[in-house]
Amino acid sequence: MITAEALVKRYGTKVAVDSIDFSVRPGQVTGFLGPNGAGKSTTMRMIVGLDRPTAGRVEVNGRPYREHRAPLREVGVLLDAKAAHAGRSAYKHLLSIAATHGIGAKRVREVIGLAGLDSVAGKRVGGFSLGMGQRLGIATALLGDPATIILDEPVNGLDPEGVRWVRTLMRSLAAEGRTVLLSSHLMSEMAQTADRLIVIGRGRILADDAIGDVISGATRSTTRVRTRETERLMATIAAPGVVVSLLADGAIEITGLTAEQVAVAASAAGIVLHEVASVSGSLEEAYIALTAGEVEYRSSNIVQEGAVR
Amino acid sequence: MSTLETRHTDVAPDHDRLSFGRVMRSEFIKITSLRSTVGLLLAIVALGMGTSVILGLTIKDAGLPSAASVGFMLDQVTIGTVLFGQLIAGVLGVLVISAEYSSGTIQTTLIAVPSRLAVLFAKAIVLFLSVAAAASVALFGSWAVTYPMLAAYGLEIGLTEPGVVLALVGGAVYVGFAAVLGLGIGTLLRAVAAGVATVISVILLLPIILSVIPASDVVRSIHLLSMSKAGDALTNTADGTAFVDLADGYVSPAAGLLIAAVWALAFLVIGAVRLRKKDA
Repeated sequence: MITAEALVKRYGTKVAVDSIDFSVRPGQVTGFLGPNGAGKSTTMRMIVGLDRPTAGRVEVNGRPYREHRAPLREVGVLLDAKAAHAGRSAYKHLLSIAATHGIGAKRVREVIGLAGLDSVAGKRVGGFSLGMGQRLGIATALLGDPATIILDEPVNGLDPEGVRWVRTLMRSLAAEGRTVLLSSHLMSEMAQTADRLIVIGRGRILADDAIGDVISGATRSTTRVRTRETERLMATIAAPGVVVSLLADGAIEITGLTAEQVAVAASAAGIVLHEVASVSGSLEEAYIALTAGEVEYRSSNIVQEGAVR
Repeated sequence: MSTLETRHTDVAPDHDRLSFGRVMRSEFIKITSLRSTVGLLLAIVALGMGTSVILGLTIKDAGLPSAASVGFMLDQVTIGTVLFGQLIAGVLGVLVISAEYSSGTIQTTLIAVPSRLAVLFAKAIVLFLSVAAAASVALFGSWAVTYPMLAAYGLEIGLTEPGVVLALVGGAVYVGFAAVLGLGIGTLLRAVAAGVATVISVILLLPIILSVIPASDVVRSIHLLSMSKAGDALTNTADGTAFVDLADGYVSPAAGLLIAAVWALAFLVIGAVRLRKKDA
């Protein structure tokens, strides 16, 4: 469980995180989305005490991260792939971190195995690819068997097998009742992994809801219909608020009526439909719609600042 | 991915929590698992003993003293370890913290140990002990290898002579403090190159600059209180008179210990303030 209240981070005059409130609950995967520079990494750094909030507070499992007596058991974190000395072996790197909590070599070997790094554990980290660095970072996050896991862009540089591994791992950690916070720019991956989404832009929360609700709130769902009597159907369903457009493949796309409403209307008019389907928006569309608004907000803000001067 | 695989199997949750001893253990693993840091520790031993061997071999050309003296023996034995050792130790001190910043390891470190002062003090203690141990090997090793060389001229001095062991241990402690000085500077500056340049300036350049400036009482006093002068004092025997005598230019071993400790701890505290206040 992660709880942020009126959390603010300012660097000089630049506001990176602008008084946000959110909570990340156990038992589900929460996706953390936002454009570059939106404040995602800063927020994650504040959660684990690397950066100090300018105002407000953020707590992990009921208290500020720094106050935990066994922080690695509370939170496992991957912020930066390859945040390890190039000259140290992966095994010694993990062992040095584990030692701070008295976690033994046995657990170190366990997470090395989990992350699929057995064959390179004795090799120096400098020779690792980005994907291997990510695996090492995830192994580090799992060391303390934590109740909360925070991963910043964990699938960057991973091969398809690795991407799938991360997805399965996140799902199973959430299924065990852990809190999982995950950031990624890969929308299709996020759509498959996350239960909830927190979307952040320019330091503010743009959406915080179940993934389905975020998508339906930010996109319009349409009804896709195929029939030989296109023109008669269009005349039948014509009404204020109903928008119909003809698609290149001969199907029509209807906004403002559900699939059921279209089917009922067609049946009453004796029109045979070959295909009726509800098409909902994608996460990518929702994300673009949500964050595009934020870009507009930013430019008008700049104009305002100029006017004041 | 079964549930069991990610669960902790060997240790009960209550047992794996932070403690200062464990943080020191972590720092010990770090310092012994890099070629660069191990190499620098070995270099203290190699350069310290190597210098003593060369001095021992050329002892006759340098001019033999008329009689055996503790002071003459200590000069032969300690100069390499103190002169080179203090610089290597300073560089090592800078490296153990600034390399964490350049590699990004500092993030991982501070996530595991959110108490930043605990990290810094654990580093300082482990560094001091490792470096002082390496310097002890160098100093006692130097004494041992030069013993027969000095004996050839009847100039040998045993470890049982008053002040000898104290001076050798003092030299090791001094080199350890030089490492802590470097750690403080590295924590303050966070960059390898700037840290190394600064630590060399403080240890080596300061006395040189002072010797160029026309000697006034103030300059002489600063010179006596410099880090490297403390090294000289610690590796000599006490003459039993004053603690520090500004007029005579004399600094006792005890005063040397105090001066070296103040230099090292002052920089460590400045580094600690920066580490605590700033975002990582």
